[in-house]
Amino acid sequence: MSTTTVTVTINGETFEETVPVRMLLVDFIRERAGLTGTHIGCTYEGVCGACTVQLDGEAVKSCLMVAAQADGHEITTVEGLADGSTLSPLQRAFNEHHALQCGYCTPGILMNMDEFLRENPDPSDDDIRHGLVGNLCRCTGYAHIVEAVRSAAKETR
Amino acid sequence: MYPAPIDEYVRPATVSDALAALGRYDEGDAVFVAGGQSLMQAVKARLVRPRCLIDLQAVDGLSGIDAGADGLRIGPMTRYVEIAGHGGLGGAYGALGDAARHVGDRQVRNRGTMGGSLCWNYVAACMPPVAIGLGATLELTAAEGGARSLAAEDFLGGPLETAREENEILTAITIPAAAGNAGSAYKKWGLVTDALPVIGVCVSLEVADGRCAAARVAVGGLATGPQRAGAAEAALAGTVPGDAAAIGAAMKAAAAEIETQQDLWADSDYRKQLIRSLGAEVTRNAFARATGGEAGQ
Repeated sequence: MSTTTVTVTINGETFEETVPVRMLLVDFIRERAGLTGTHIGCTYEGVCGACTVQLDGEAVKSCLMVAAQADGHEITTVEGLADGSTLSPLQRAFNEHHALQCGYCTPGILMNMDEFLRENPDPSDDDIRHGLVGNLCRCTGYAHIVEAVRSAAKETR
Repeated sequence: MYPAPIDEYVRPATVSDALAALGRYDEGDAVFVAGGQSLMQAVKARLVRPRCLIDLQAVDGLSGIDAGADGLRIGPMTRYVEIAGHGGLGGAYGALGDAARHVGDRQVRNRGTMGGSLCWNYVAACMPPVAIGLGATLELTAAEGGARSLAAEDFLGGPLETAREENEILTAITIPAAAGNAGSAYKKWGLVTDALPVIGVCVSLEVADGRCAAARVAVGGLATGPQRAGAAEAALAGTVPGDAAAIGAAMKAAAAEIETQQDLWADSDYRKQLIRSLGAEVTRNAFARATGGEAGQ
């Protein structure tokens, strides 16, 4: 099987790995970098958003690209949000507003909303809901997620 | 769904290197990857089984939007997020933002490209009818160094079909400047928020002396590929902004002339109703933009 060498920076740490060309970025993150906070919810179908990470600061689905496409780029995963044991304001708001139940979708939502709040520091509820279109949650009904994002926006502005 | 084994990944820096990489493989064995938001789905489903991925992310000169007096020049690697957030795309170009703001979701808009959408020409896609509605011209560059230009409606065939030859790459999308006061708009309807369009309608028009001087109407979501609605365009000519009866009649003509299909998402008659209702709404929005007003949502 043909391979390629991929060098990426994930949460500030550089990983250089020789991987099959067909390896999806989400599998590179989970299996080669050992960062299992990035989840696979829909068996790589690109519809659930659980595998959302930030590529050069922008939210992308890591099952919709091969790892080779990320060569030379910087990735942030959910493990990169907190500062040591201090949660980010968005993470803290998810805790305080009960914005998760099973938590499976949460890493992808955090990585999407973290970028969303940088782009939209004062979002309406409609803006937040529109921003969440690419992330499926089957527990919460989204109401508490919207509250948490609104609260985090207030705290960080 | 996981990709079948792939032999090679290349990331050329120039158009000629990209075409040279394509030329090393038999037809269909190497594919260009733009944003990959549709293509990677097809690769994972093994509908497409490439031996080589030619990633266009580093190719010089394929990205960005240049607005000049003679119109717009859009690099095919320009992403939806860049079109959606571009401040200079109102009025005659308003349909571009209408479409780009509602493609997929934030993650898809951060990677998906306008050129990728046009070259893939999926049945349920927004950019194909928008390109036709805006009268876009597509510039294709061939491996031998030659280039040709094609009107979007000549480039876009049935679903997943385009006039791109195997040795060609899309290098620019140009949209001519309107002659006078012009406006355009696009809207789609899907099963859920921002879903793939069951039907999408793009209208662009010019207003002179208080009337529509010329119009283009294009419809997407069709089994026959994106189509122009010539009877609706003729009917809109001479229409006064705000004449709801005339606009409704023009869109009734569009629904009558366009062949619609029945599938899992909608039956044929429902698609015709969508053409009428979406068409009337985007025509009002296009008029509003042409006359300096705000388009409704």
